[in-house]
Amino acid sequence: MRIAFLMVRHPSSRASPIMPEVLALLTDWGVDVDVIYPDEGAIDLRTVDVEHDLYVLKSGTETALSIAGALDAMGAKILNPYRIAAACRDKIVSTRILQEAGVPVPQTFIAATPKELEPLLEDGPLVVKPYRGSQGRGVRLVWDTDELDTITPTDGVTFGQRYHEPQGRDRKLYCIGGQLFGVKRKWPVKSFEDKLGEPFTITPELHEIAVRCGRAFGMETFGLDIVISDGFPYVVDISSFPGFKGVPDAALRLADYIYAAGQRVIAGEDLVPLPTPAPEAVA
Amino acid sequence: LKAVVVGPGRIGCGFVGQLLRDSGHDVCFLGRGATVERLNRAGGYSVHLVDGDSGCEIDVRGITAVDTADADSSAAQLASADFIATAVGAGSLRAIAPLLARGLVRRTRPANLIAFENLWDAGPCLRRLVADHVPSRTSLDMHGFSGAVVGRVVSHRLLRPQTDEFVFVGDRVDRFVVEDGALTAPMPQIDGMVAASNYEAALARKLYTYSLGHAATAYLGSLKGYHYIHSAIRDEEIRSTVLAAMREGQRGVCARHGARAGGGEVLLQRTLHRFENAALNDTIGRVARDPRRKLGADDRLIGAARLAVAAGATPVQLPLVIAAALRFSDPLDPGSAELSHDIEMAGVEDVITSLCGLDPAQEPGRSVLQSWRRLTCGWAEGNPLLSLQNLMWAWCSDPPQIPFG
Repeated sequence: MRIAFLMVRHPSSRASPIMPEVLALLTDWGVDVDVIYPDEGAIDLRTVDVEHDLYVLKSGTETALSIAGALDAMGAKILNPYRIAAACRDKIVSTRILQEAGVPVPQTFIAATPKELEPLLEDGPLVVKPYRGSQGRGVRLVWDTDELDTITPTDGVTFGQRYHEPQGRDRKLYCIGGQLFGVKRKWPVKSFEDKLGEPFTITPELHEIAVRCGRAFGMETFGLDIVISDGFPYVVDISSFPGFKGVPDAALRLADYIYAAGQRVIAGEDLVPLPTPAPEAVA
Repeated sequence: LKAVVVGPGRIGCGFVGQLLRDSGHDVCFLGRGATVERLNRAGGYSVHLVDGDSGCEIDVRGITAVDTADADSSAAQLASADFIATAVGAGSLRAIAPLLARGLVRRTRPANLIAFENLWDAGPCLRRLVADHVPSRTSLDMHGFSGAVVGRVVSHRLLRPQTDEFVFVGDRVDRFVVEDGALTAPMPQIDGMVAASNYEAALARKLYTYSLGHAATAYLGSLKGYHYIHSAIRDEEIRSTVLAAMREGQRGVCARHGARAGGGEVLLQRTLHRFENAALNDTIGRVARDPRRKLGADDRLIGAARLAVAAGATPVQLPLVIAAALRFSDPLDPGSAELSHDIEMAGVEDVITSLCGLDPAQEPGRSVLQSWRRLTCGWAEGNPLLSLQNLMWAWCSDPPQIPFG
């Protein structure tokens, strides 16, 4: 079985052993593992071809996403399929999908320029973030109109969401092969220990939210960022392949799932179950 | 020597047939329908023996196969065989007994029959079942009947698309143990066959260490949401619990059959190493399948617990493993659905009593019941257990309290 990971090279000092451990486990289990770094060097597009049974899109860069798209067009099997990864990467698309699935998200606005969000500040602060951003980069909490002048929109699009003041720690929900895990985490994170957070037993309403998200996108592996405000949960971000930090035995569970997915591909089975319509939102 | 193997399945082809051909014997399989057709069309099959990174492929050629629907031809094969093996699963021995009887009554010279089945008294059991179908004046005394303790795991039967032939995947263990004195002369010469004077000890050792550990890895692995044996055994909590449960089983074997029979710590470590063999691709679902049989009073889990108690020990991890087996649920396994249904209808105490033969008010039944109750609190289909130590579940299975929209 041949599996390739599209990744970004991290400095060796980075304390995140999950992916190296996943690669080591799969190698130990006899899988022919390759790591592709799409952001290193020039790639002759004619060389982009399907050479592996399964691909895993781990990197969050635009180049990696595009290479995944090219591989998808060539018929590659990707654990977090290109269509889904691309939808998750674009907050406008993903937020609308979540809304349609009845998942609670903050009220969301897009505008050509930050200034056009100005009237909305009368009702309270906004969180403005790059619509294709990730890992909290470029996120701004905006209270005053003056602050809007300092924001540079991405590709001519300004993305804003109503701010809901979090109560307690943020909730991370992770899904590995359809299995859900919850981690409570401080924000902002200052240390690796902060990133690991603390596992918690997911409440029924958060479970329902995660199930709806999985169904809406038709994905088995993902991560959700949730804030709880005034007792209500809001999904504020989604990722098709997060870091899974804090999930007990995360590397082993991921390797087990990726191995099983590879076996499914080899057996000619569907990689990801077809999306099923989400039930009506609970009023 | 001409050998007939009844049951061309994983053990029949992937172990018995291969060893017989390697030993230079003619082999005819008795089976059914498409399997027989494919074996004959391909003229053989392959056995892929794996051990981590290394492996070897053994081509098994020159075999024949006969459909048991053709009772006359099947009986003729049995009548002319020097050696007969069964590998049909303990529950199917009764079904093949009439066919075996039909073949044996035609014989004028003795044959040896070996049942490669997970049964305590496989040899005598097969003799009794066959005796029920032979005319009263016919004696089976001249024939040898023995069980066999199989060392190898054969995890898969695959189909090689290029050649349309079977490939059996197993680990590199050739040894099997038969009952010394149970077979008749001339003894078949088969690679890997060992005649043991204390057959019961050999079977107890396999059942209450290896089979116990294998099942424990599967049931605990299922609770924690793993797909493969080789993954589950890498989980530190599962590994330490499985090892402790095997030690409990081993203690009973040593007390009953002597210290040598138990195999010592080396055997347990080697067993854990075998579970790590990812090349077997052994799924939790396959190993955990049919929990009702595996929860039988004399089978790998309950039998081990009872033997440990008889040895004066108090099993601590075995009750948790037994409770995990009682809790096992796999939509693809009708056996687990039956067990869940029984528990739902009759209550777990009744199942512990009637299926496992344990008293829920006494050890080890009491600990099994306690562990089952602890596991059941929070259990839901597809809800992985985060920790065996504090029984923390990934999500709460109660219905939502707060509506959202």
